[in-house]
Amino acid sequence: MSITLDQVTKHYGGVPVVNDVSLDIGDGEFFVLLGPSGSGKSTLLRAIAGLSGVDHGRIALHGRDVTHVAARKRGVGLVFQNYALFRHMTVAENIEFALRVRHMRGKVRRARRKELLRLVALEGMDERLPAQLSGGQQQRVAVARALAHKPEVLLLDEPFGALDAKIREELRRTIRQVQRELGISTVLVTHDQEEAFAMADRIGIMNLGRLLEVGAPHELYTAPATRFVATFLGAANLFLARRTPDGIQVGASVVAAAGAAAGGRGEHEVVAVVRPEEVEVAPARDDLASGFLARGVVEEVMFTGALERLRVRLEDGAATPLLSFVDGDSTTALQVTRTQHEQRGFAVHPGQSLAIGVRRVHVLPTPLSSFTACATSAALAEALVRQPLLAALVARMKTRVAVRVEPRLGVPDAPCESAADFVGTTVLASQTDCAYRAEWLLRRGAQDLLVLPQHAAAPQRVLIHWMGEAVRGATLAVSASVLRHLSAEAVYVGIVPDDGAGGHGMRELLDARSEAKAAHGLEIRTELRYGDVSQELARRLGAAPGQMLIVGVADLARFAERFRAVLDPGQWPVLIVHRAAP
Amino acid sequence: MSFRQPSVLPGFGLTFGFTTCFLSAIVLLPLAALVLAAGSMHFSDLLRVVTSARALGSYRLSFGASLLAASINLVFGFIIAWTLTRYEFPGRKVIDALIDMPFALPTAVSGIALTTVFAQNGWIGRYLEPLGIKVAYTWVGVTLALTLISMPFAVRAVQPALLEVQRDLEDAAETLGAGRLYVFRRIILPTVLPALLTGFTLSFARAVGEYGSVIFIAGNLPMKTEITPLLIVIHLEEFDYQGAAALGVVMLVISFVVLLTINLLQAWGRRRHVRAAH
Amino acid sequence: MAASPAGALAGEDRRPGQHSWMHTIVRWLFIATSLAFLAAVLLAPLATVFVMAFAKGVDAYLHSFADPDTAAAIRLTLLTAAVVVPVNTVFGLAAAWAIAKFEFRGKSVLITLIDLPLAISPVISGMVFVLLFGLHGWFGVWLQEHDLSIVFALPGIMLATMFVTFPYVARELIPLMQQLGNDEEEAAITLGAGGWMTFFRVTLPKVRWGLVYGMVLCNARAMGEFGAVSVVSGHIRGLTNTMPLHIEILYNEYNFVGAFAVASLLTLLAALTLIVKTLVERTGYRRR
Repeated sequence: MSITLDQVTKHYGGVPVVNDVSLDIGDGEFFVLLGPSGSGKSTLLRAIAGLSGVDHGRIALHGRDVTHVAARKRGVGLVFQNYALFRHMTVAENIEFALRVRHMRGKVRRARRKELLRLVALEGMDERLPAQLSGGQQQRVAVARALAHKPEVLLLDEPFGALDAKIREELRRTIRQVQRELGISTVLVTHDQEEAFAMADRIGIMNLGRLLEVGAPHELYTAPATRFVATFLGAANLFLARRTPDGIQVGASVVAAAGAAAGGRGEHEVVAVVRPEEVEVAPARDDLASGFLARGVVEEVMFTGALERLRVRLEDGAATPLLSFVDGDSTTALQVTRTQHEQRGFAVHPGQSLAIGVRRVHVLPTPLSSFTACATSAALAEALVRQPLLAALVARMKTRVAVRVEPRLGVPDAPCESAADFVGTTVLASQTDCAYRAEWLLRRGAQDLLVLPQHAAAPQRVLIHWMGEAVRGATLAVSASVLRHLSAEAVYVGIVPDDGAGGHGMRELLDARSEAKAAHGLEIRTELRYGDVSQELARRLGAAPGQMLIVGVADLARFAERFRAVLDPGQWPVLIVHRAAP
Repeated sequence: MSFRQPSVLPGFGLTFGFTTCFLSAIVLLPLAALVLAAGSMHFSDLLRVVTSARALGSYRLSFGASLLAASINLVFGFIIAWTLTRYEFPGRKVIDALIDMPFALPTAVSGIALTTVFAQNGWIGRYLEPLGIKVAYTWVGVTLALTLISMPFAVRAVQPALLEVQRDLEDAAETLGAGRLYVFRRIILPTVLPALLTGFTLSFARAVGEYGSVIFIAGNLPMKTEITPLLIVIHLEEFDYQGAAALGVVMLVISFVVLLTINLLQAWGRRRHVRAAH
Repeated sequence: MAASPAGALAGEDRRPGQHSWMHTIVRWLFIATSLAFLAAVLLAPLATVFVMAFAKGVDAYLHSFADPDTAAAIRLTLLTAAVVVPVNTVFGLAAAWAIAKFEFRGKSVLITLIDLPLAISPVISGMVFVLLFGLHGWFGVWLQEHDLSIVFALPGIMLATMFVTFPYVARELIPLMQQLGNDEEEAAITLGAGGWMTFFRVTLPKVRWGLVYGMVLCNARAMGEFGAVSVVSGHIRGLTNTMPLHIEILYNEYNFVGAFAVASLLTLLAALTLIVKTLVERTGYRRR
């Protein structure tokens, strides 16, 4: 492996800007780190180059551990966004710089310089000054300069940002060509998804310091595993759907999903992704070739050359399963793109009513779909909806919060007010007897329950624990989902009873870590504690502010008593993941 | 092309007229008087005054000490500018503001203060005395005074240039294998060199004409510690206007030549960096 | 961009593989050298002024201002500044307007002339006025006939001070006005405003901080000018002595408390100038 990153973490002012990133890049691979501004990708690149240190983790280049090695000894070539050419030196001197430092003889330097100039198609420019070159030419010089000392790894930090579209394309091709010719492992950092698709062998998507998903461009586009990736890599319509034994039910109709794994008994809520180009429109339901979704009214028609973009408002109104579209405006409208061929088949204009069909639905394997705030009165439920941490999570997860009023919440043996199932994550306000209320909800079918103190803010550390193997998978899946939307450190706390079964405890930690990584793409730290579960968790949570707990339970017997220590203090958010043992 | 481009804004006549009148009265007329006064002498007399032993001694002191002061400020000015732009330490902002003090402080005040500090029983002078270093009333004192008053020019010329050195360049050099010293030598110094030369020039120009802060510490012994401006004053007090004017013209001419040379050096230096440096 | 600390100062954060002990040594060496140099050359003299002024106690300090000659010198300095600074400000504004707002041939000659006094020794600056208005000067005879005196009298002092300090306001305003451009003034004209209105309502507010800065500098130099005034004044106590000249007299008479007492006033003025400068820079105005 050319580049190996192992749990690389870097903090700035207490916040993890790069959060437990692990990555393997192969020989000769062109890898692109893609993400929005502030996702930590540039910081990660600089850490690989050695221009900044890491607080935790390892970096290895071609098998050699370089975590504590100075930048100049790492053998990397770095190309900067604004070229960073030495302005008082000519092109030739810039390129030969690395060779001069290594005391190479003049003849050798000249030969190498000529070769590099040929490689980047700048022959004859030797004696020019950077100020006399265009942006594209300067960037080529920067690339040639970075390659002069035959580095093992080439790093590029948003190299095309300052250039205009045509030049950018040319340069992309040049760099890809050079990279192939030299067979050098390369990492390119960018926020431009088109660029990533054009150049990458594999793409790694980062957000909030975490590496969310890694894969080939096509895989990531057609089968993303997370909401963020789905909406970042192109327009996406997100739906709250239900997985039933018959298939995926979106709104009123059932559409067969691609790869619908049998949900088995019962239904549960999932998030489904429909790309705008997979939506079909027709005058009436019967004219549709694909599965019918709903009827809608065209709001806007935009011609963009090869494609036509439509905004369609679904007629379900408030009950629509459509989550608000990614660009954050409050009116939920479906994005549709149609080719010229489709336009010729059926022309549309604003205000027209039409039938909407869906050709392909991709279900995200994430367990968190929506939230439901539950309280004894409507007013209290509304107050809960406005809690800052909840609002932040809802916004980041691009989902919604429903309200459920249960006047007899916590009263033993009282039934639920409404007959509806609990969907998504139920949210409960944290207060003195909330342990009983929590047990009450769990016994009546709530699967994921978030107990939220009024003043809770985004945590900086999330503790994870599960009671029993049966609920391990679900807890990790939920934790992975939550942690993608929080800039926090993840720690699995293994708790072993006091009678010192130490070896067992360590193995448990290792298993937890590897499963988290392998099955859920989540990097976690681990800790081992001894004693009673609830007491230890409460002690650990009380030791520092800004923490949160995710705990998985299978057995609800005496739940309130067991977890009172953790729930009643009301100082930290607790997310309870409940899956009944089979 | 006509004298000026037409413009929609009014007031040219008024402002230009006033400006030229003012400048003529305050600058051109007096300078003309200077040149004419010097010119009205017989050439041989002019030469005698200008090349008298006393005059030569004063040139050596004025120009020599100024060059030395400018050189000292080159080194220390760079060190101070570097410290202020790159390091954080308590009181940095205050020190940064204080650099301009010699610029705002009257020269007479710096003169008497320096003399007092470096006199034989002064705060610093008393430690130098046993070492045999006499500062007050020697050329050393003159140089010291000139260093003080021209220091801000050196520091303020270098500071913006240092701030301008892109950190990216240093990072790039580091990834290419260069150590800190190499980076300093090959990347930072060349970028800052023009500013250093400018600072040197400005310091020198300021120091050459200095009068107030020097005459207190100099002792003013003819041919030993007498600066040229003082010699001019002495001529004036003896009503030898022509002699004074002659010396004034000499000062102006030499300063002009030196400044020109340094400017040419700077321009040549810029061009030199364009070519492959070896 | 990630939250990486930008700016020159922050670049020294821990990088792998760098010898931090070496860095620390160099750092402290630089800081120590700088501070030592500044202490000797700048801080010690400043401290001395006040130490010597108060060497014989607060009473002696205050008493030195009661001396009639000292009081006269202070009055004269203030009077000179009160005349010179406004005149130079007007000149500065006029020159800046002419240079920044119009294109004409010979502009660079004008600018060079404005910079000239800064390049000339103050003694020469004073001498040229003696050559013009002194007893054997061009106008000497004419002045004597009309019983007017410029040299060795107040007018001469003012003229010499004006010569030395007039560039300050202009040099601040010219690049400032050039940088700010003419757009707003042209807009005002097209809206019907006259020249004076445009100047007072549009231009002046735009340049106010540069103006303040220039005036404050001009004032500091006007009050502190020594060389030029020394040549022109005749050193007549009580009549043609400014504060700096009076310092010289007191010092040469070994009246150290008196000399440093007056010097302390000027030092406080310099400190005030620096404070104003810092405050002006806080408003965002940056010298070019």
